Amino acid sequence: MPEIKVTPLGAGQDVGRSCILVSIGGKNIMLDCGMHMGYNDDRRFPDFSYITQNGRLTEFLDCVIISHFHLDHCGALPYMSEMVGYDGPIYMTHPTKAICPILLEDFRKITVDKKGETNFFTSQMIKDCMKKVIPLNLHQTVQVDDELEIKAYYAGHVLGAAMVHIKVGSESVVYTGDYNMTPDRHLGAAWIDKCRPDILISESTYATTIRDSKRCRERDFLKKVHESIERGGKVLIPVFALGRAQELCILLETFWERMNLKAPIYFSTGLTEKANHYYKLFITWTNQKIRKTFVQRNMFEFKHIKAFDRSYADNPGPMVVFATPGMLHAGQSLQIFKKWAGNEKNMVIMPGYCVQGTIGHKILNGQRKLEMEGRATLDVKLQVEYMSFSAHADAKGIMQLIRMAEPRNMLLVHGEAVKMEFLKGKIEQEFSINCYMPANGETTTVTTNPSVPVDISLNLLKREMALGGPLPDPKKPRTMHGTLIMKENSLKLVSSEQALKELGLNEHQLRFTCRVQLQDPHSDPDTLHRIYTHLKSVLKGYTIQHLPDGTVMVESIVIKVSSSAEDPNTKVLLLSWSYQDEDLGSFLSNLLKKGLPSGLC
Amino acid sequence: MEEDLDNILDDWFIESIKIYKDLHVYQLENPTQVLEWTSGRNVCVAGYTSSSKNEILELHLPLKLLADKNKGLCAERDFKVVHGGFADGPVRRLRHIPGTRCAVTNDGHSSSLQVWDLGGDDSDVIRRTGSVEGGRTGSVRGSRIAARPSSQPQVLHGAQSDDVRLTEITSGRTVYKLEVDSSDALSSLQFVTDSIVVAGCCKGSILVADIRSPAAPQVCCPPASSAESVLWWTDASASSSRLIRLSSCGQAVVSELRMLGGGAVCQAQLDIQMRGSDSEDVVVSWAPALDDCIAVSGFSGAVQIYNTSLWKSDLQETTPLFQHRGHMVSSQQPDGVLTTAHAWHPERPRTLLSAASDGSVHVWDWVNQSAAESGSADPPT
Repeated sequence: MPEIKVTPLGAGQDVGRSCILVSIGGKNIMLDCGMHMGYNDDRRFPDFSYITQNGRLTEFLDCVIISHFHLDHCGALPYMSEMVGYDGPIYMTHPTKAICPILLEDFRKITVDKKGETNFFTSQMIKDCMKKVIPLNLHQTVQVDDELEIKAYYAGHVLGAAMVHIKVGSESVVYTGDYNMTPDRHLGAAWIDKCRPDILISESTYATTIRDSKRCRERDFLKKVHESIERGGKVLIPVFALGRAQELCILLETFWERMNLKAPIYFSTGLTEKANHYYKLFITWTNQKIRKTFVQRNMFEFKHIKAFDRSYADNPGPMVVFATPGMLHAGQSLQIFKKWAGNEKNMVIMPGYCVQGTIGHKILNGQRKLEMEGRATLDVKLQVEYMSFSAHADAKGIMQLIRMAEPRNMLLVHGEAVKMEFLKGKIEQEFSINCYMPANGETTTVTTNPSVPVDISLNLLKREMALGGPLPDPKKPRTMHGTLIMKENSLKLVSSEQALKELGLNEHQLRFTCRVQLQDPHSDPDTLHRIYTHLKSVLKGYTIQHLPDGTVMVESIVIKVSSSAEDPNTKVLLLSWSYQDEDLGSFLSNLLKKGLPSGLC
Repeated sequence: MEEDLDNILDDWFIESIKIYKDLHVYQLENPTQVLEWTSGRNVCVAGYTSSSKNEILELHLPLKLLADKNKGLCAERDFKVVHGGFADGPVRRLRHIPGTRCAVTNDGHSSSLQVWDLGGDDSDVIRRTGSVEGGRTGSVRGSRIAARPSSQPQVLHGAQSDDVRLTEITSGRTVYKLEVDSSDALSSLQFVTDSIVVAGCCKGSILVADIRSPAAPQVCCPPASSAESVLWWTDASASSSRLIRLSSCGQAVVSELRMLGGGAVCQAQLDIQMRGSDSEDVVVSWAPALDDCIAVSGFSGAVQIYNTSLWKSDLQETTPLFQHRGHMVSSQQPDGVLTTAHAWHPERPRTLLSAASDGSVHVWDWVNQSAAESGSADPPT
């Protein structure tokens, strides 16, 4: 039976890095190549030894697909392609291709420069890796090769995030990456058509949560900013240039307007250039409705938000500043942080995850004394707030997605089976499909039942229908005779005669003959008539004819009677049938060998 | 149209910055009428649709809400589904048996109860383990349920006053039966101590019984103002020994549990109007950690908090100390949404959970505006 194999790479129960191998129709595909942010050694990379013990991966993989730019989905990509070795195609959407290298470079700098690591990819490796990338557009089918095709769907979540549909022949798989089903303010909700894949692969991480609304997260943000401003404090918001910054700005701008607040809001200049670049990417990526909102309010024509100059950091009184980089690991945001950290009226709001080794990571772990360059310590007295704005699907979202795509099987990665039994039961019950939950490193094999579409010739179809009998029932198989012709990539079912004609062959007939001896005192014609009556009573439903030329025909089987020369009571029956009537023919010969019943007239 | 809704949302949300310390808004797949604590951190919800499969979920409160120190460092705002199971039929009432991982449910239109194992660390499935038969078949309102506070798993249940019994869950044995002649529909059933139970009737009368004694329960008549068509809901507070009765016309009467015959301690005309004939969803409850305060839900899409210490002995109009309008404001049909349940947090004085007919569940920690403005103290906690 044909099957699809899915293996999440990694070990044990650990979550935090996505890298899934799929084998479908003879093709091997790697879905995402994430870095585990919690480890400092080789455990942060996916375990590629599953694919091959040593050597390059190129011949083992047909393609690699990256769902979005978060490091737990693409962080190990340069390591995989340049240090382990892979030269095949890497697919991702346009925005992902634009943003990935920036994030990877930032990450590399922190890991190598800040933490002094050596076994890590270089800037050149990131560049070489990105040269292998082929960008995808939404809803556009891309032929990876003759048999493998992929298509990207909108996933919401972050700019450029995609769900991907993979098809080989009539088997298919959909991988969701990270997605959300409730529309975000500016990213919209994930969408997919009723593509009915054999397997829908999704993360189980958020499957057992019920998400707090986006508006409550925003409320908390505004509340915290407002409280600091009211007490005369300064608020620092370190942001990644190409991310939530714009959204948070719009939020503050609306709030400031509504509440008639006077405290200044600043946006560091480093952000403005990158933001315009982001804006262009974003506009081509989003749908009509969201595009209209953005055209109506250009990101950087704010009434209340001004460009920042570093001298402003020393100005007295309350203010809000958006500055890069996002994890406080260098540059302007770190400079401002150093100035403001000592005052407990101030606040720093971290809107996202911070990588180990950064100041951001340290303060989010509660560290209140930081060691800076030159052995100076910094006392962290300001208020530290960690807020998560990323949009994820939850338990309800997964059910909605399954309803949309109608997969034949469901597969959830990165979960503990024991903690997922309820969800598994819920999916199996509501949709009557299997729900698999492989552990990391474990392979799930899903048997598929692909239908092979075959064109049938009109003649053959008409003939079958003309044979009469009940109307065809799609649930009941029906035996028919025909010839299957495979030409190029299509399959055709035609009648045998047509096939022979097309092939220029003559049809050969095969006929069997058998002699049966019978004791019967009657004349030849009478014996024949007795045989006719006997057969008519036994073989009800068959066409039996007594022909004027002295033969009995059962379907196409011919029976003749003649007497033996020596003894007129010994009759010799000659039975002749064609290959097609083999079964009936042998039945008749066995029946007649038993002789004729005496009661016949 | 959608824009107007967004604007209202904006206004309320911006107002919410001042009037709530914490606010969390969730959307369940199906509405719940159940909000039952199974610990200080976990709460059960359950569906009541007429379809055959309804979910029972045990949810863990968001970590951010529970964090006391370092609250700012916790970004986790979501509910976690820690256990889940399926019920055949609607779940209108659910009671957790204290000290166990057992819960008992009723479907709202029969007198039998279903018994469940909420599950432990080794599985996330809530399983049905048995049932408890009620007194009579075919009662319309379904049985009320109260769990005995001590560690013996016993449950008090019944739909009518002459049909209340205390059943031992494991054996199914009836340990006690309330001896009452008249048959009144019940709107509440509670244990105020391990052996004193209070049954509130829809007509407004109260029955107080000691389950250790075979004597008939003490009966307290409905408040004088009660009329034929008026319905009453009740809550008794173990800590303050007070009882509150609320009528479908909005009249609220507070009495001393120990002196029920002595008349009302105070009363008030609440700022609510009766809606429709569906009285299943009204809940009135004493705050466990905020003296003299009650919460009322089920009359509209709002949850109201009143301070009974401001009430007088004669019936006067009173206004709520606080109103949670979140369900009305964020619903797609602001007039159609009704609150279905609410629950005070057992320890945090001003934290409540509320649920509504559109499937929304809110968790909120409100600020006492009037105290803040006037400079006077909150009711003591």
